[in-house]
Amino acid sequence: MTTGKLLTGKSLPRRTLLRGMGAAVALPFLDAMTPAMAATSKATGPVRMAFVYVPNGIDMRNWTPQEEGPLTAELPRILKPLEPFKQDITVLSNLTHNNGRALLDGAGDHGRCCGAYLTGVQPRKSYVDIKAGISCDQIVANQLASKTRFPSLEVGLEDARQAGDCDSGYSCAYTNNLAWRSETQPLPPVLDPRALFERLFGKGAELSPEARVREGKFRRSILDFVTGDTKKLQSTLGPTDQRKLDEYLSSIREIERQLERAEKDNAQINPGMPKPYGVPADFAEHFKLMTDMITVAFQSDMTRVLTFLVTREGTSRAYREIGIPDGHHPLTHHMNNPAMIEKVTQINTYHVQQFAGWMEKLKSIKEGDGNLLDNSMIVYGAGLSDGNRHTHEDLPTLIAGRGGNYIKSGRRIVYRRETPMSNMFMTMMDRMGVPVEHFGDATGPLPGLDLA
Amino acid sequence: MGTCRQLQSSVASISALIFAMEAFGQTPPPPAFEQSVKPVLARSCAPCHNDRNASGGLNLDSFQLPASLTHARDGWERIVQKVRSGEMPPKGFPRPSQAVLEAMTSFVESEFERADRSLKPDPGRVTARRLNRNEYSNTIRDLLAVDFRANKDFPTDDSGYGFDNIGDVLTISPVLMDKYLDAAERIAARALGADPLPAKPLEAEYHTKDKTIRRLDPSNIEATHRVGWDGEYIIRIGLPGQRAEDAKPVTLGFWMDGKLLHTMPVETKPSKLVYFNPYSEEEFRLILPEGDHVFRAGFIDDPFIKTLPAGDAYSDKKNKFLNMIKFVGPFPAKVEKISRKKILLCDPQTGTAAVRQACVDRILATVARRAYRRPVAKAEVAQLSKFVGLAQSEGLSTEQGIQLALRAILVSPHFLFRIERDADPLDPQKVHLVSNLELASRLSYFLWSSTPDEELLALAEQNKLRAPGVLTAQVTRMLADPKAAALADNFAGQWLEIRNLDSVKPDPQKFPEWGPELRDAMKMETRLFFQSMLTENRPLAEFLSARHTFLNERLAKHYGIPSVVGPDFRRVELSTDQRGGLLSHASVLTVSSYPTRTSPVIRGKYVLQNILGAPPPPPPPDVPVLNEEEVGVAGSLRDRLEKHRSSAMCASCHNRMDVLGFGLENYDGIGQWRAMDGKFKIDAGGTMPNGKSFATPAEMSQALTGELPEFARCLTEKMMTYALGRGMERYDRGAVRDLVKKLSANNYPFRDLVFEIVQSLPFQSRRGEQPRTSTTPKAKEIAAR
Repeated sequence: MTTGKLLTGKSLPRRTLLRGMGAAVALPFLDAMTPAMAATSKATGPVRMAFVYVPNGIDMRNWTPQEEGPLTAELPRILKPLEPFKQDITVLSNLTHNNGRALLDGAGDHGRCCGAYLTGVQPRKSYVDIKAGISCDQIVANQLASKTRFPSLEVGLEDARQAGDCDSGYSCAYTNNLAWRSETQPLPPVLDPRALFERLFGKGAELSPEARVREGKFRRSILDFVTGDTKKLQSTLGPTDQRKLDEYLSSIREIERQLERAEKDNAQINPGMPKPYGVPADFAEHFKLMTDMITVAFQSDMTRVLTFLVTREGTSRAYREIGIPDGHHPLTHHMNNPAMIEKVTQINTYHVQQFAGWMEKLKSIKEGDGNLLDNSMIVYGAGLSDGNRHTHEDLPTLIAGRGGNYIKSGRRIVYRRETPMSNMFMTMMDRMGVPVEHFGDATGPLPGLDLA
Repeated sequence: MGTCRQLQSSVASISALIFAMEAFGQTPPPPAFEQSVKPVLARSCAPCHNDRNASGGLNLDSFQLPASLTHARDGWERIVQKVRSGEMPPKGFPRPSQAVLEAMTSFVESEFERADRSLKPDPGRVTARRLNRNEYSNTIRDLLAVDFRANKDFPTDDSGYGFDNIGDVLTISPVLMDKYLDAAERIAARALGADPLPAKPLEAEYHTKDKTIRRLDPSNIEATHRVGWDGEYIIRIGLPGQRAEDAKPVTLGFWMDGKLLHTMPVETKPSKLVYFNPYSEEEFRLILPEGDHVFRAGFIDDPFIKTLPAGDAYSDKKNKFLNMIKFVGPFPAKVEKISRKKILLCDPQTGTAAVRQACVDRILATVARRAYRRPVAKAEVAQLSKFVGLAQSEGLSTEQGIQLALRAILVSPHFLFRIERDADPLDPQKVHLVSNLELASRLSYFLWSSTPDEELLALAEQNKLRAPGVLTAQVTRMLADPKAAALADNFAGQWLEIRNLDSVKPDPQKFPEWGPELRDAMKMETRLFFQSMLTENRPLAEFLSARHTFLNERLAKHYGIPSVVGPDFRRVELSTDQRGGLLSHASVLTVSSYPTRTSPVIRGKYVLQNILGAPPPPPPPDVPVLNEEEVGVAGSLRDRLEKHRSSAMCASCHNRMDVLGFGLENYDGIGQWRAMDGKFKIDAGGTMPNGKSFATPAEMSQALTGELPEFARCLTEKMMTYALGRGMERYDRGAVRDLVKKLSANNYPFRDLVFEIVQSLPFQSRRGEQPRTSTTPKAKEIAAR
């Protein structure tokens, strides 16, 4: 086993690449990676952009920090898990998605707020003939497509269908997707950790290099054994039966050739984790598995763009993990019942707690002079603020990371009321090297992130 | 299919002769060729079938001498068949009296029979058979107690002569070999339980809103779920809605593959915990076996639902119902796997080196014997035990070494193929009985689609299978075993084309009732009916005219039969003649229809091919297509089709086919009874070529029982094809004829057919191979037939 030399300049851990006997198909990974590395300086690394979306709004009383400017006081209850990373986050207030509002289209705030979230446009009210807009992550992904193996990744933690009526006449496509490749084509999130693993790392990646060599040896000795047996058998048979066994032998020989090819052609990425079996029952476990893999994908520059629909908008998922058997959505219509508000807050906090775990992981990975989190801008937020009343102004929004030394983090910025959310997306796209003149209902870039 | 046709005439004539002899108590004098055949040829046939005008490609010049009965046998058989069915001479041509025609066909057939009797009996020769997907799965199940579904992993097996177990056709490709290697690895790991369970439990959810659940009725939901590992699982049932304040609790039941596993009481009155979307969940823990299973959750005996208007069944304000089944797991179960116990007869990791080695050898010899379906030689065991050494040298345990050896066994040709030996494989004259071990495999793959069990294998090893009474006792025992359901699934499923139910797609606009639930019910009816015919040894006529069937509520509703309640199947005596016999089974009627409408042509062909064993030739090219829009609007289907076949070219076959298909027109494209087709009244009447007329489907089935000898011969040939894994050849005629004759004496009891096939010459014996000639069909050609 030797280490890929190409990578030494990129300060990836040695085990990120391995050579061994693997699947029959080799990933074109190394080629894809080289230009990406050339384009970014050794010191900074590329900038990654991600959107983590939670449904049904957030209890704003327990979200919004009191102070404006530097975050010095203890964070409010929901953000508390981010306390250790206070200096890495920027909390933004008063951003609004006007296109999530009814605007004469009647009920369906859940469908609308999610469909509008990254597209900036008001989705068409229909559950058959869907139409929104190209989402900002996909605009960036299209431009960066040649630089990474995957232009973007879409993940989620809840299985969701793509058609039918999910909210008062809005298609499930609106509540169950964040990324839209075109006005009419949403990109469904990957739910199953195993599917994500196989997509990123290939099917043979679950074996250690030693195990793969051993497995190759085993297979060959099995093939030798049956070949010998068949030849002994064949000599005693009539011509037709001999022909049947010839078919068998020539299939064996073909498999042997495949084995040889696979051994020669064996570059693969080591995910540094065993292959997941399927969807874990535990929410936190599921969240961690997915973000672990995303971290490897970011770290090895397999992609720079991510959307993460934590659970689908309007979901009624229950959180037994933290002792809440009631559905999330019914709970958010709490009608100011304190017991129900308490449960909503607990769910909101639980989500942020998982997110904090991911931040910790990103921060622990050194990249250039800083770390992976420094080179990322990860928006965490929701399409509604108050889930009880379905409000679209002052959406709960924070950015984790500095976007490659750009964002002056550790602050809360309070914008003028009704500032379009799309303005923030415009600024982020610009930071990703994809400046656009118009996006959704944006009125211009969002100032102040870099304190300039 | 061709073979049915080839053999039809001779057998029919035998029974006709027998009948004649019994009726008159004397042997009719054999008329000579010159008297009984030549005049008919000259007067009625030669005007069209001559050397200048060879209509239908037939020129009778070479049929003028008695010797032609031998050297142009195939041609003569076609002639006899056409004359017998009344197809020739065609309508509008001078026709000799029936007695004259009868004399001619009887003479020709008696000559055939005489010729066949003088031949030396030939058992034929079966090509080495690869296990097909069903046989592979069943064999793995019986060998190792591992549930493996080859249908999901392996490519589809080719079929020939209507069945997918034909040795000549079952090929092996690199793709399949690769699958065999992977399957062997997984099966061996599962059998020994060396695969660790996932460290953390997984979840799988089936929900009505994701359409992953089938609603059987307002109180029952069902989902097909693959249990990934043997182990313990938490099962959660989603229960939306609430009933009135004073509603009583109900009993929640949970079934796997139709078996009730768990019950618990459930409250249905408002919980007052949430303001809207009332919802609750119940959970329990169960040990589940690995594999695909159908799970059902439902309320048992819930009187409330019967009082509720149908429109309120899924209103969460009015009713409490079910919408979700969730599986969380696996959690390790405390019971040791059966497969492990089966393989590890001793502990290969304790004791002295010699003791350990003896144990390994014992384990490997035992598994290999069952896998190869024969005793294994010492040298073979020694070869296998090298794998244990190889694994150990790689730092693995002895158990993992046994697992490796098991992988090798499972891809060995001795396991994957059923190979029969000849002392002299190149001498076709050398007829010999197949060995006891070969016979055991023939039996078990015929009756069980699986490997011989210990009792059968042991008898074969001691050469006792052919001792007096033993074979009959074994067949009786094997048919009583639940594994004999394989005959219904694999033989009947292909004979009656029931397997096609998985691929037909009735139009949801025209048949909104169609769905997996109805489809499965249809399959089950025919399966149970076939099994009851077999186990009760019913006369073959009842396939056509039975006065009972097997129904559950869904199918009974489909048939308009009242008071069958619940999803479980039971025997139902039929009170009207709307249903009765195979030809009124929705399964049969659905696979013989187009997605949007019935097809009297397809149904007619179905009856000819699968019941009477006389399939029509394929239609000529450039046949105009029926305009479906007009059916039921511009004229009834019957009118339209009658116009369609006004052409003489089409009429000769369609007259035979369509009359049988029209007789089933009272059943729509998914087998529901109907009196009208669009705005036109159904006319199911017709007259069969043998002159019997009928007015309803029941009368038609009754009329078909008059063709019992044909039906018996057809079924015999098909079952023989299936039992042997090869097509019927000319030299099989004698065996088939004798067998049908024997059955006729007792009114054709169905189970006896199985016994007779087992005792027949082709099943008991084989011979060396005929030197290969260029006319031997290749696998692809057979598959194309």
